Amino acid sequence: MSFEQRQEGEFTVIEVEEARLDASIAESFKTFAFDLIENDKHNLVVNLSQVRFMDSSGLGALVAAFKKLAGNGSFSLAEAQPAVRDLFDLTSMDKLFTVHDSVAEAVKGS
Amino acid sequence: MSAMLSLEIDSELSNTTLMAMAVRGVCAMTTLSPVETNRLELCLVEIVNNAIEHAYENQAGQKVQVELELDDSLIRLTVSDHGKSIPQESLQPDAEPEVDPEQSDSWLCSGRGLHIVNKLMDAVSYQRIGDRNSFIMEKKLR
Repeated sequence: MSFEQRQEGEFTVIEVEEARLDASIAESFKTFAFDLIENDKHNLVVNLSQVRFMDSSGLGALVAAFKKLAGNGSFSLAEAQPAVRDLFDLTSMDKLFTVHDSVAEAVKGS
Repeated sequence: MSAMLSLEIDSELSNTTLMAMAVRGVCAMTTLSPVETNRLELCLVEIVNNAIEHAYENQAGQKVQVELELDDSLIRLTVSDHGKSIPQESLQPDAEPEVDPEQSDSWLCSGRGLHIVNKLMDAVSYQRIGDRNSFIMEKKLR
């Protein structure tokens, strides 16, 4: 399975167990995140530590999950690797997403 | 040094990685920095995905070809398909809308690929000859 979830206090951490979050799995990620949100998991942290490459479809899936929450909860990212951070900078997504250095930091206070 | 490499995949998104890895291998022979190599990979993936998703409308069993030309001063990638052409208005997209955390209309879930490619490559062109569409991208080597 490409994605796993675990609970850290009030936060649900999505572990992306793939080196590439790209067009071939973007739809699966979206479905996984939407299912969590529809099951009342409204504080999501996406752990990107294993993701070495992301394309615009992978980015779009993150944005779709963020939009699905519609401000009702929180959505943040953790441990984005250099190529992924570069994509966030190039697309100004750093304005939209909070990117934490670690999952521990993202769930601090839970 | 001058070299040319031709690659071909079946039109499935899971095959794009093969193209990406092959081109990364060639980039390692050049003066491109790790950041530039990542960006070239991103542009290639965007255009190959575009061919699969839009030219072929996600139908497997079609061919996507990449020709890589390399010399001392330039790397040129030509991504070709035999499907539907990219509409002219999509090739010259309006400026990318500014992302505003307060305006959910600006949180786009798709349509960023060509913006990224136009931003990162030194030259971009598109042509249709017969039934063959070709998206050509160039990056200067320093």
